[in-house]
Amino acid sequence: MLTLDVSDLQMHFPGLAAPVLAIERFHLPAGGQLAITGASGSGKSTFVNAITGLENVTHGKVSWNGTDITRLSSGQRDAFRARNIGLVMQDFHLFPGLSAFDNVVLPVRLARRLTAGERERALTLLAATGIDRVSQKIETLSRGEMQRVAVARALLQRPGVIVADEPTASLDRNAGNEVAELLLRLSAEQGTTLVVVTHDAFLAERLGRRICLASGRVDEDSGESAAQ
Amino acid sequence: MMTFIFADLRRFWSGALAVVVLIALSVALSVTVTLQERAVRLGSARAAEKFDLLVGAAGSETQLALSAVFLQPAPLPLMDGAVLGRLANDPRVALAAPVGFGDSADGFPIVGTTTSLISALSPNLSQGAHFSRLGEAVVGSDVALSPGAQIKPMHGTAETGGETHTAIAYTVTGRMTPTGTAWDRAILVPIRAVWQLHGMHGEEHHDHENEEAGSHDAGKKDHGHEHEHGHVDADAPLDEHFDAQSPGVPAILVKPKTVADAYRLRQEYRTGATLGVFPAEVLTRLYATLGDARSLLLAIALGTQAIVIAAIALVTIMHVGTRWRQIGALRALGTPVRSIIVLVWGELFLLFVAGIASGITFGYAAASAISARLTASTAVRLPVEFAPDDLWLAAGFLAVAAAVSIVPALAALRSSPAAALRA
Repeated sequence: MLTLDVSDLQMHFPGLAAPVLAIERFHLPAGGQLAITGASGSGKSTFVNAITGLENVTHGKVSWNGTDITRLSSGQRDAFRARNIGLVMQDFHLFPGLSAFDNVVLPVRLARRLTAGERERALTLLAATGIDRVSQKIETLSRGEMQRVAVARALLQRPGVIVADEPTASLDRNAGNEVAELLLRLSAEQGTTLVVVTHDAFLAERLGRRICLASGRVDEDSGESAAQ
Repeated sequence: MMTFIFADLRRFWSGALAVVVLIALSVALSVTVTLQERAVRLGSARAAEKFDLLVGAAGSETQLALSAVFLQPAPLPLMDGAVLGRLANDPRVALAAPVGFGDSADGFPIVGTTTSLISALSPNLSQGAHFSRLGEAVVGSDVALSPGAQIKPMHGTAETGGETHTAIAYTVTGRMTPTGTAWDRAILVPIRAVWQLHGMHGEEHHDHENEEAGSHDAGKKDHGHEHEHGHVDADAPLDEHFDAQSPGVPAILVKPKTVADAYRLRQEYRTGATLGVFPAEVLTRLYATLGDARSLLLAIALGTQAIVIAAIALVTIMHVGTRWRQIGALRALGTPVRSIIVLVWGELFLLFVAGIASGITFGYAAASAISARLTASTAVRLPVEFAPDDLWLAAGFLAVAAAVSIVPALAALRSSPAAALRA
């Protein structure tokens, strides 16, 4: 369970004078569930990239449980992300040619040896996401199944936070709802902090706190008072 | 790690195959050039080993060496038979054997010579015995005739419109062991049989000592020259003593007793009407030319390789371009940078190794096939073999491959994972 603290964060794109993201203070307590909404270009993805360390932050502070990831090198950020952040992306980023199981354990296998406990947990998570044929090649699964495999992958290393960037946007309504259910249920079960960027009102409504970004700033925050 | 690499290669198998084939072909080209040049050099050097010193009539050194060592049919001038007598009785000479060309049978050259030359070429016969009568012959190991077979000699060769001698049919009495030289395709007969068959008698032909005698010429002479087909007594016993009255011969193979004798004899017989040559010397000169051709071919091969490496660099850059997102995703999922480098580098390096290995195999096979074809037509064994130097060549290829493969891996890591994911 990780607490997020952002202060004085500014993100710039080369050639643009105004920052694409400017957040003075933001706090998300451990175990909190946050939905980020907003129009295209409002800075949602930039926010996610900044808090996950996918993008280099040059101005401001992003800390998880007191660890300021903006001060880490890019290699250290990759390692921090591997240990603490489970990522679910709109395009799944699964690897064709590998089975569902192999996809779930790939990040671990590429870093070190897979333990028996992790193997067990991978199978449990796949069962929990409703994937029966774990040795089936990933490209033969439906898109909804693929995203559920990606959710299992994100949870494998017991991350303190799950960050999902438009997890349902490329799925049809039914598959999207299933994935949304799954994310909510599993993160609640594991007690992980959950951050979801979404256009999906059904999904956003079910998260405890919603912020809406506009022009790189927090425009609305349903739970600001509650959080502080 | 390997599972991932192989899964990835299966996805891009056609591109991977193209890369492997490109590398294999370019490596095969330089391997073939290297091996074949070496095979020709070693093979011809071995073929010339048994021919220490050749003495012939004044003329082309190269032609004399090629005709005697490789039995290449060409008109050679005759020299005075007295030279043979003088050499045969010289105390510095261990062996002086006349070599008479001009006839053939079934495409195999018939060479008139002596039993001592046969012993020098093949100390033991693999079948049968030496010839002991004028009408007998010993065949080289590649001649498909068994002892007892009859040989009808023909002037020149069938292709040049030769005419069959009717005066004699040789009977095969023995077969030499393989020598790895052009003489494996030769039919060896007593020199006196050749002389008599062509109507050459020492006493009568003093005025013809510089007369041209060779395959083409011998054929022509039959029509219109005073030279008559002689009668040969096939049962006459062998006489291998030569003196000043012996008829002319195109070449004499000489085995001097010592190296010093060899140089002295060569010097002595390089004056006036005769020519003394060390075949090895002539071959060395030919290799120098061959060496130039090899450098040229190798330069072309290297140029090809440079082009191939450029093509591979292009392929890998495009490959990494399409995999930018994949690499970004791996980093987003927290894969350590070293693992990503190993993945990208390993995958490319694997392709390089596969290409180089199959290139060496193709090259070896191609060189062996070329050598086999050359051996079939000349009987000169051209050994295709690797030398310690080749290890350096292979190591060089691998080093370049290892260095080139790291570039896309490093390039892939320059941007942030987020930028890579957007690509």
